[in-house]
Amino acid sequence: MSFNRDVRPILSDKCGACHGPDEAAREAGLRFDTKDGAMADLGGYRVIVPGKPGESELIARIESDDEDEQMPPPESKIELTDAEKRTLRRWIAEGAKWEGHWAFQPVERPVPPAVPSGRKWGRNEIDAFVLASLKREGLLPSPVADRTTLIRRLSLDLTGLPPTPAEVDTFLQDNSDDAYETVVERLLQSPHHGERMAVDWLDAARYADSNGYQVDRDREMYAWRDWVIKAFNDNKPFDEFTIEQLAGDLLPEATIDQKIATGFHRNHMMNEEGGVLPEEFLNEYCADRVETTATIWLGQTFTCARCHDHKFDPFTQRDYYSFYAFFHNNAESGKGNYGAPIQRNNPPMIQLPSPDLEARRDGLREQLKPLEARIKELPEKSPERDELTNEIVALKKQADQADLAIPTALVMQELPQPRKTFILIRGAYDKRGDEVLAGTPASLPSMADDLPRNRLGLARWLTDPANPLVARVTMNRLWQSIFGTGLVTTPEDFGSQGAYPSHPKLLDWLAVEFVESGWDIRAMIRLLVSSSTYRQSLRLTPELHKRDPGNRLLTRGARFRLQAEFLRDQALAASGLLVPEIGGPSVFPYHPPGLYEQVVAGKGRNTYVQDKGAKLYRRTMYSYWKRSVPNPAMLTFDAPFRESCVVRRSRTNTPMQALNMMNDPTYVEAAEFLARRMIREGGTTTEARITHGMRLVLGRAPGSAELKHLNAALSRYLTDFKSHADDAARLLATGDAEMADAPPATELAAYSMLAGLLLNLDETLTRE
Amino acid sequence: MFDQDALNLLQRETARRQFLSRTSTGIGTAALAALLNPTESSADQRRPHHRPRAKRIIWLTQAGAPSQLELFDHKPGLRKLFGTDLPDSVRGGQRLTGMTAGQKKFPVAPSAFNFRPHGESGVEWSELFPHTSALADQICVVRSLHTEAINHDPAMTLLQTGHQISGRPSLGAWASYGLGSANENLPTYVAMISRPSGKTNAQPLHERMWGSGFLPTRHQGVRFSPGKDPVLFLSNPDGITRDRRRVMLDDLATMNRLKFDDYQDPEIEARIEQYEMAFKMQASVPELADLSAEPQRTFDLYGPESQKPGTYAANCILARRLAERGVRFIQLFHRGWDQHNRCPQGLRTQCYDTDQPSAALLKELGERGLLDDTLVIWGGEFGRTVYSQGALTNTTYGRDHHPRCYSIWMAGGGIQGGMTHGQTDDFSYNIVQDPVHIHDLNATILHLLGFDHERLTYRFQGRDYRLTDVHGNVVREVLI
Repeated sequence: MSFNRDVRPILSDKCGACHGPDEAAREAGLRFDTKDGAMADLGGYRVIVPGKPGESELIARIESDDEDEQMPPPESKIELTDAEKRTLRRWIAEGAKWEGHWAFQPVERPVPPAVPSGRKWGRNEIDAFVLASLKREGLLPSPVADRTTLIRRLSLDLTGLPPTPAEVDTFLQDNSDDAYETVVERLLQSPHHGERMAVDWLDAARYADSNGYQVDRDREMYAWRDWVIKAFNDNKPFDEFTIEQLAGDLLPEATIDQKIATGFHRNHMMNEEGGVLPEEFLNEYCADRVETTATIWLGQTFTCARCHDHKFDPFTQRDYYSFYAFFHNNAESGKGNYGAPIQRNNPPMIQLPSPDLEARRDGLREQLKPLEARIKELPEKSPERDELTNEIVALKKQADQADLAIPTALVMQELPQPRKTFILIRGAYDKRGDEVLAGTPASLPSMADDLPRNRLGLARWLTDPANPLVARVTMNRLWQSIFGTGLVTTPEDFGSQGAYPSHPKLLDWLAVEFVESGWDIRAMIRLLVSSSTYRQSLRLTPELHKRDPGNRLLTRGARFRLQAEFLRDQALAASGLLVPEIGGPSVFPYHPPGLYEQVVAGKGRNTYVQDKGAKLYRRTMYSYWKRSVPNPAMLTFDAPFRESCVVRRSRTNTPMQALNMMNDPTYVEAAEFLARRMIREGGTTTEARITHGMRLVLGRAPGSAELKHLNAALSRYLTDFKSHADDAARLLATGDAEMADAPPATELAAYSMLAGLLLNLDETLTRE
Repeated sequence: MFDQDALNLLQRETARRQFLSRTSTGIGTAALAALLNPTESSADQRRPHHRPRAKRIIWLTQAGAPSQLELFDHKPGLRKLFGTDLPDSVRGGQRLTGMTAGQKKFPVAPSAFNFRPHGESGVEWSELFPHTSALADQICVVRSLHTEAINHDPAMTLLQTGHQISGRPSLGAWASYGLGSANENLPTYVAMISRPSGKTNAQPLHERMWGSGFLPTRHQGVRFSPGKDPVLFLSNPDGITRDRRRVMLDDLATMNRLKFDDYQDPEIEARIEQYEMAFKMQASVPELADLSAEPQRTFDLYGPESQKPGTYAANCILARRLAERGVRFIQLFHRGWDQHNRCPQGLRTQCYDTDQPSAALLKELGERGLLDDTLVIWGGEFGRTVYSQGALTNTTYGRDHHPRCYSIWMAGGGIQGGMTHGQTDDFSYNIVQDPVHIHDLNATILHLLGFDHERLTYRFQGRDYRLTDVHGNVVREVLI
């Protein structure tokens, strides 16, 4: 029996709302969130008497049939299951051992379990922890996956792109001991690695190209997105990554890049609606920053404490508004500027270095100077003066337009005179309670005296190794990026209502390793993918189904559907259409006609004007993200709206996804270009061409049964299109890309249909 | 006689058993559910808490906030107060929007339209609703709805999700989560949008208004659009006939089964099923969206706009067809109700767009025996001010946003007809009797669907969330 794993969740979930940290809601002066509270003498009796369930009021109450006595009370509509009642009884009988909530305990490096001698499986400490838990369950790990599976797994996990046939061949032919490590290094050094890592961060940071809320006009934030990609590619240590995004502007002699990084906390939505009151929305923006910061770095649900003390975790409403005060000094107005041209960012913002555009603007301003000097010398109301006035106005307009053409980015910037922060009663912007100063929650390690009480101080406090949460929470998210599911399945909640870690010691070991490596993200990713745990095959057996249905024990490799972005990227890469350029303004790929216009209105981008040429084939993370109507394929494949911080996407399996994969012109066109590659690059036999197609998509050659079936399918498609040449021509008309050296239409159409099949395979949609 | 729901349930159960028996490893149902939906393993245990009165909902959402003063909340006393300043005692220092907070005067603008009693019940209806008013005895008008939000986005978000800040599931997604599907060939929650025919201020909408928030994404509303693809990517590409698609899907399934035999991952079987359902939708949705088989009588009933695809009228016909086919939650959004200026003119065209089709829909549901278990709701996100925004003249005026009180109507599915509920003061500014908050409305809707709104919950971020948060009371007075 473990208190934290077995007992705390019951006391928190079933009793916490009335007997938890929220003093205002506490009944009978009893609380179960602290040891002192739970064990207290309540005037002659105790709720919990260690070792004596029969004398414990808790047991009497939960087992009572009397509606007046029963706990939880019937009107609460909360019920304890029989198993939960038994757990509580047993826990008290065994001495009612109490532990502090695991996530708040200082992180100490556990000693990895000794691996029994003679055991061949296992390469690093991760495996030692995993093996020990398997041993306890009487299970064995799965064997290592084959090399083609491994290189596809690595390529998708580390870059979000499939391996090329040449990359697969190199790996297959590499007989050296470090062949695997060579692949890992190549992928970690790839500029696409930064893109892949950024995709998860963009969800967390609620990045988008529009302001959200009602009018949802454009903003210009790609410079921040590109900063993130570069930070991952430069392997910027996580503490610097944190400090620059939360407070880059407050660093001494902050660089342009450090200021761009602070756009992190301007990514929230912004309301430009006519009727908004600044106070109301400044409140929303600060609350959003609190939620985002607490979710990403602390794995805590601070927003619960926006209206009242937290019901389950040790955070008061005062803690909440003290934390909020860190973000309340931004030099923003709280309302939009609906009169400004679209894409004009709402201050504070900075112009991006753009030498040509700056030179043009400055040149125009230089031209103005002599004119403005001359006009002072001219008599009032002279024709000459009128003429010059017109000239100046025109030139000024040109200079202003040249200035507007310089791209910008939203940033944070402190007000010289800090805004006051008050506790807001029930969270209402206009109901002020006590004034509070910026500070960190009392239940977490205190902020050093010498740290400034601003965002920079906060960022340094977060990256202090004494913080028990940041390294655990971050390592868990990195684990989730690579293994599909975190060791803690609720990466957004490390509080007492969150999930208990599947491997608590492993998580702590990784957290210490992370801090001691100097917050080296890439080293951590390398560590994860180097483990034998990661390299396991994922074949299921009835035994594994029964014993470890959700793979929580890590008895096998992880199998899960690809993220929305990588599905499209993979198809573009396999077909050869992908334009692998990094960064820059967002692009406008195919979008179903009319979908956008049905909901959009007002001054702004009222119609969706699709790009032409190379911009149609950029990686999906560069697609224009309008919050009111994001690219529909993103939503269909479970991406969030990017309206608030999300650190875990759901993974669904729906018919809408099937329709998307089969009929979206993106995939129809990709199939056509994949077909061309099969015919032109694959060799002369149909078997060779099919094999080439499968290798382009999946990295592996087909098995004999698969090849036989695909070959038969192809010959049927060929026969079919030969007698329906008009349909072949119609199919090939989909998409914008011009095809050079196109094969004959009937042949290309038949191969396209087969290529479409390959792009729709369950295996294609799945990271194995 | 048979119960369609029971039949569907039976079919679903049989299909699932067959599916399970095909998985050679014979995993238990619970394990399978856990594998397919790790966050929703208890999905199959959800059952209504009591006998439902409504099996489906048609929510006729009037986006932009229709004015209660011209449409539902008759205040004849305002005539003689034309142009006088709204008394401070009525306003009570309440918040105004940034658009009129700076106005020096708040001149009372009486309705430019007349009301008269209708039906046996004698409920007063506006002359703007010549068709709907004829059904007065079937409709309950709620005149005391109120909300906290004063701007469109937060207000529509509150109406749709029970919370002003985005991120929570919409009512339709909750219904899908609670009720499940009654027709496996169609989505459970369908959203349709129409634009106004007149020149009025059409407020934008957001995909998230029919989103699933933190519920699994399969509960999100599926948008039906006019044109070739009523559902996104529904049609095969040119040159791929239905027969070719069938061939391709058979080949695809063969390949996927080879993979399944090797890996034993039930997710692969689920994928095959989803592709099959997509194929079925490719037949069922165009059949559904094709109005050409409707008799002329239908178009006569729904009015002149109903033959134009994408109009509110055409969407009302579709709503009836969706309801007939068992879709649980059908939501129409008609834009253009934001009458900050030219209020009388704007309302005329808006009512032209919506009055006859809404009435026709009610009528047809009644004729086909569907109204008894279909709840129909008509309304927007807040009301409008009694005072004029901008200049008040004899012929025109504007009205600003007003969250303190507004009106909607409900019919069918367990709702009492021929009644009004709630009362406002003489200025339709404050509620004086039986206030109904959005949370109360939502609690009532869930009640009609068979759910105790306090017990239909979903665990997210460590908390059991409800559509009604910690609020909501069922409005029993309007129930049969």
